[in-house]
Amino acid sequence: MEIRVKCGCEKEECSEWTIVELQGVVETQSSFQGSLHNLEIGRLCHSDSSQETYTFTVGYHELIGSKVTLKKPLLVLKKRKDDLSEKSSELQVLGIIRTKILFKTRPKPLISATN
Amino acid sequence: MEFDIPLPEELELLEANSYFPEEEEDDDYLNFEEPPYPYPIDGDEEVDISGCKRLRKVIPDPIVNLDEVSPASEKRSKIGDNNRVEMEDEEWLRFSPVKEVVDVMEEEEEEEVILPQETILSRYASEIDGECIPITAPDGGDRVYAKFCRGLGDEPVKKLDMKTKSNGLLKDPISVLLQQSEQDAFNKVLQTSSEDQNETIHAVTSVMHEKLWVDKYSPSSFTELLSDEQTNREVLLWLKQWDASVFGSEIRSTTDEVLSALKRHSTTSHHQKSDSAFTRKNQFNRWSKGSFTNHKKSDESNSKSTDIHDLWNKKSKLSGPPEQKILLLCGAPGLGKTTLAHVAAKHCGYRVVEINASDERSAVAIETRILDVVQMNSVTADSRPKCLVIDEIDGALGDGKGAVDVILKMVLAERKHATGKENIDNGKTSSKKERRTAPLSRPVICICNDLYAPALRPLRQIAKVHVFVQPTVSRVVNRLKYICNMEGMKTRSFGLSALAEYTECDIRSCLNTLQFLNKKNETLNVIDIGSQIVGRKDMSKSLFDIWKEIFNKRKMKRERSNASSSEAKSFDFLHTLISSRGDYDLIFDGIHENILQLHYHDPVMEKTVSCLDSLGTSDLLHRYIMRTQQMPLYVYFPSLVIPIHRLVAQIQKPTIQWPKSYHRCRTLLVEKQESLRSWHHKMPPYIGRHLSIKSFVEDSVSPLLHILSPPTLRPVASHLLSDRQKDQLAGLVMLMCSYSVTYKNVKPDPALSKLREDGASDASVLALDPHLFDFISFKGHQFKHHILTLAMKQVLLHEVEMQKILLASGGRSGVLNKPEIKKTAPDLARKTVAASNESRRIPITSKPPSVPVEKATTSKAKPGDVKKASRNALTFFDRFRKSRKDYEDPEDVQKRATAKRDSRPLLFKFNEGFTNAVKRPVRMREFLL
Repeated sequence: MEIRVKCGCEKEECSEWTIVELQGVVETQSSFQGSLHNLEIGRLCHSDSSQETYTFTVGYHELIGSKVTLKKPLLVLKKRKDDLSEKSSELQVLGIIRTKILFKTRPKPLISATN
Repeated sequence: MEFDIPLPEELELLEANSYFPEEEEDDDYLNFEEPPYPYPIDGDEEVDISGCKRLRKVIPDPIVNLDEVSPASEKRSKIGDNNRVEMEDEEWLRFSPVKEVVDVMEEEEEEEVILPQETILSRYASEIDGECIPITAPDGGDRVYAKFCRGLGDEPVKKLDMKTKSNGLLKDPISVLLQQSEQDAFNKVLQTSSEDQNETIHAVTSVMHEKLWVDKYSPSSFTELLSDEQTNREVLLWLKQWDASVFGSEIRSTTDEVLSALKRHSTTSHHQKSDSAFTRKNQFNRWSKGSFTNHKKSDESNSKSTDIHDLWNKKSKLSGPPEQKILLLCGAPGLGKTTLAHVAAKHCGYRVVEINASDERSAVAIETRILDVVQMNSVTADSRPKCLVIDEIDGALGDGKGAVDVILKMVLAERKHATGKENIDNGKTSSKKERRTAPLSRPVICICNDLYAPALRPLRQIAKVHVFVQPTVSRVVNRLKYICNMEGMKTRSFGLSALAEYTECDIRSCLNTLQFLNKKNETLNVIDIGSQIVGRKDMSKSLFDIWKEIFNKRKMKRERSNASSSEAKSFDFLHTLISSRGDYDLIFDGIHENILQLHYHDPVMEKTVSCLDSLGTSDLLHRYIMRTQQMPLYVYFPSLVIPIHRLVAQIQKPTIQWPKSYHRCRTLLVEKQESLRSWHHKMPPYIGRHLSIKSFVEDSVSPLLHILSPPTLRPVASHLLSDRQKDQLAGLVMLMCSYSVTYKNVKPDPALSKLREDGASDASVLALDPHLFDFISFKGHQFKHHILTLAMKQVLLHEVEMQKILLASGGRSGVLNKPEIKKTAPDLARKTVAASNESRRIPITSKPPSVPVEKATTSKAKPGDVKKASRNALTFFDRFRKSRKDYEDPEDVQKRATAKRDSRPLLFKFNEGFTNAVKRPVRMREFLL
């Protein structure tokens, strides 16, 4: 079966994506019943210093990570079903991932005494 | 011959400055040698050598013919008197020398008659007709004018010339011989001068101020000392021990003489004159050997003196200064301490430098002064080493301490130096060191009245202490009688002995009184002695003396007079004694400390009761005075002592101790109060407010201790306990927490471990942290509390620590996930308190049986208890906070919680990697199988 990969961005460059890799799980509070809808996950900040360090604040944890170039870049595809021809399906390229931001250290708690 | 008279006056002047005869030899000899005019040698003693000759030559002289005879004859009579005095001097103790006095009086009259006829010697030149020559006294600078007689002037010159021509026949030139004879005679005069004094002083009363008898008759040599022989000898011995370090080996030659002086002193206690001439070869060799051999021959062998001889021989072998470098003389005033110090120091060849109460006594001033004295040698003619005498060292407390401190510093430096010397043992280094430190290289004698003055406490430990005792009354009376005879005052020995007794053998006040009376031309009246104001040195007795007076009955007075008057006397005596001292509370402390140690006959405890009653009264009075500041009431204190004295005074001497128990108890009380107070502060206020410190000690400490150490607890593992025991344990732990009592490792106190019988006395012992057992332990009281075993204590300690942590963390954790814990904990505390207060009769609410204690406390949550718990908060402020929270609980807490949750909808959960994986080699084969 032939799968056609179509890049929709001929004129401009392909949009670049980034993976945020966490060692751990981001969980919702029990009261939200697992739905992430309309919830702010956290805040990702990039420091201006020479080292590419990123801080990611989730809940009362602060994660510190760095940008890592992937050995093999990844392509973000979107499957587009052709209503006309059911047999043939098209994968549209949404973006290319060349780097990831890796948070592999133990998170720093932000709890103050008042909390 | 006209110059006969100046000499006695000069002698008198010398005596006025109370110089020692030997001391004067150098200076005055020179003076006598170089007068502006050929100076006839002297009067009295010269007569047998050349006086007669001269007299013969004088008589034919037309000018002074008539006038000269009378002085000469007067001289002769004087000489006769002197001889008689000398002769009778030895027996002056046995006979009252009335003859002498009569002679003296006669002679004085004679003199008075003669003097107006022709003034040979006068203060004013105008009174002398004819030529006159001024003569200045060698010291003092008094100037008199003497008549100049030309006819006499040539004679000595001629004689001198003659003898110089015949120089070859003599071994020594005539000048030397003359000097020697002059000097011999002069020594003789000085020796006899103490007897001549009253004659000479009357001759010149018109121009001289009368001297105090105390100074005039002060002992000028060691043998005249009135104080106790034993003390005198020991002081002298101590001074002689310095010889090796001060004088070097030079002094060795005098040891025999000093010894024989001592011997002589011990055998013949009163003054004796040595009749032979003195030699001056050795500076310290004042007694010629000849005279002493005589004495030795005459002396029967005395055991005391041989003892001293042995002692001396032993000591003399030692080189270096004596062990104790300070001599501390103490005793009541007027016993002759200062005199002894001066005389002994002079006797041993020191120059006395005295620092007394009238000198500046700040620490700096005194230090330089002491250093000057002790470390420097003077370069002047008088190169004798100095001896420092610090008089009345106890006098001023603040300033006197300066002297004490300086001396202490020097002695300590010396000790350090000595140890250093031992270590190094090298001549050079030690000498270097000596320069650097300030060692004490000269004897220092300190004199005080009160040995137990606080300022002297450090000095007492390093000094050699000699306490002066009163001389016997007979000795004092003998001396007084002698002086009265010399002064021509008529007294009776009975009156004198009464005076001596009244002044407690204070010879200074005796003499001053006598002189005062003499001046007023009154006689000493026995009855008046009590009323006459006898001048005494102003000082109060030491506390020990006062206590001794209180506890000691005086036997002497009872014998002498009838009972009632002696009672009144002793009443007065005690009253003045105590009121002059003034430290009433200390005096009463001392009485309280010592009264029960006395052995008085008291079969039904009546005396003890009344004594303690007086003490109680004094206590009440003291308290009242302290509270109201009505100091005039202090007047009534001395009278409280007197009934005690009446009741318990004994004839035998009491052993008196310084009152310490009061201070000990007071410090103990303060210490325990402090520990109780700090414990009280540690307690949560809702418990502490029901507990006053006073009532705790009086009432509740014993029940609390019963509760804290129940006899039913067994030291076994917690899972082996029955439910009931677990409840008990939990209750006890909660109680301990809420009273903030815990166990602590303490060092084993021997007394405590004995009391508590812990068994583990060598290891550290677990004791209650506020040491509650201290509050019920009394001397000789065994408390009946059950004492927990060490294992049980350890269990309790552990549990209490756990409980404390739980209680502390309960506040935070309760908000987040376990809000119940906090409520249960105080609830439990309250319950356990209640339970324990009702002696654990009420069973604690049911608990799951298998849960360990600490879990039980956390898991025990009951909705019904919540409201009750809110009343019993953990701390004072917790109460408010929690109750507010509890109050808002339904809506507000919920709202706040949701708001908090919404602010952080997502939480990050970190997945930890495993690093503890087991690594072991595995063969491929094992997988295939």
